[in-house]
Amino acid sequence: MVSRVILGFGTVALLALSAETTVAFADEPKPTPDNTIHVELTEPVKPQAFARPLKFSLTDVTAQPMLVYKPRNGIFLDRTPVEITREAFSNCLKSADMLAPDRESADFLLTVYLFRFGLTDSSGMDFFGKVELAVVVKNPKTGKSQQVSAAGTSISGVALRKKNIQKHVLEDINNAFGDALRNFLRGQNLRDAITALDVPPDTKAPATTTPPGSDKPIGTPIG
Amino acid sequence: MQFIRMTMVVAFVVAALPGFAKDKEAQFKSVEAKHFERAEGVELSPEFTDYLYAELRAELTKAKLFGQVLGEGEVVDAADAPSSIIIEGNITEYKKGSVAKDALIGFTAGWRSMKVDTTIKRRSDQSVVASPQIHVRASPRWKDKVLAKEAAHQIVNELKKALKDKDPAK
Repeated sequence: MVSRVILGFGTVALLALSAETTVAFADEPKPTPDNTIHVELTEPVKPQAFARPLKFSLTDVTAQPMLVYKPRNGIFLDRTPVEITREAFSNCLKSADMLAPDRESADFLLTVYLFRFGLTDSSGMDFFGKVELAVVVKNPKTGKSQQVSAAGTSISGVALRKKNIQKHVLEDINNAFGDALRNFLRGQNLRDAITALDVPPDTKAPATTTPPGSDKPIGTPIG
Repeated sequence: MQFIRMTMVVAFVVAALPGFAKDKEAQFKSVEAKHFERAEGVELSPEFTDYLYAELRAELTKAKLFGQVLGEGEVVDAADAPSSIIIEGNITEYKKGSVAKDALIGFTAGWRSMKVDTTIKRRSDQSVVASPQIHVRASPRWKDKVLAKEAAHQIVNELKKALKDKDPAK
């Protein structure tokens, strides 16, 4: 009798598990308020100081998907990485009074290409957040431009509960994103690019024509 | 009896006091970890060095020896350069191990192994502070990135030992 009851419970448990697994595999994860995270820089990255005060204008950011973690019904971003990146860049530049009010008054135009935004393959014992971007820095007066690459990484521990997974993933992406912005805004590469492209404000440089194709970074954007 | 209890309570409070103490000031202003290079013939995935870099930065942050853990290529104020260090490295050897040996023999036979030469330099004059050599091993049934995790941990331990009695300004 006892063994029949145990067998019965076992069958019910197995059926319940298999039903859940079937549901999980049958449907692609869909964004809901419960599995959606809000990525935003906790504090703006202060850009480095240049030889003369410069103003930047953000012209474009490319698109990326919003699903960042597929298992366990997925984790989605509540905004596109384009919006997140545009807002973060603007806030960082604004915090150091380096954001031009419009395109015309900017000393440099920034076009951002996002190659990766989210999680990538890890050791299995943690989450590995990675953000990779390439920014084309263009001097509108001379038409000359240079590409500056930047990347940010972050590691955070795994979790079992969905709520904690979501918390760790959010923390991981936030840190990697902040790190990538820091890598760009405080990087030696940006300094070198500005030094090479900058012309003093009173010098009238000849408007050289650069083909639009040269604005694009080398390589193919992912996503 | 009551006296013994009181004494025990006081002893616990005294023992716990250092935990409430303010964190001691970081010994160095900043540390910059660079992506490690690979010697010819080292067959590791392209993402491996990225992962090792991330793990190393995570371990350096945990160590609390440095005011800031900088990203690669970040600008540092000239005034902070003497008390800042740079970590460079080269993966000199990687053996991918054997799952069969690991399963049949056990006792770490057939494990993956990786050797890394690291150089810790002072940012201002590029003088070498320490150059520990790291050797890590892991089961071939685990991902190769487990090696990165262990290597980062060992590098930071060696760094702690090397910087223990160093004056940041000299």
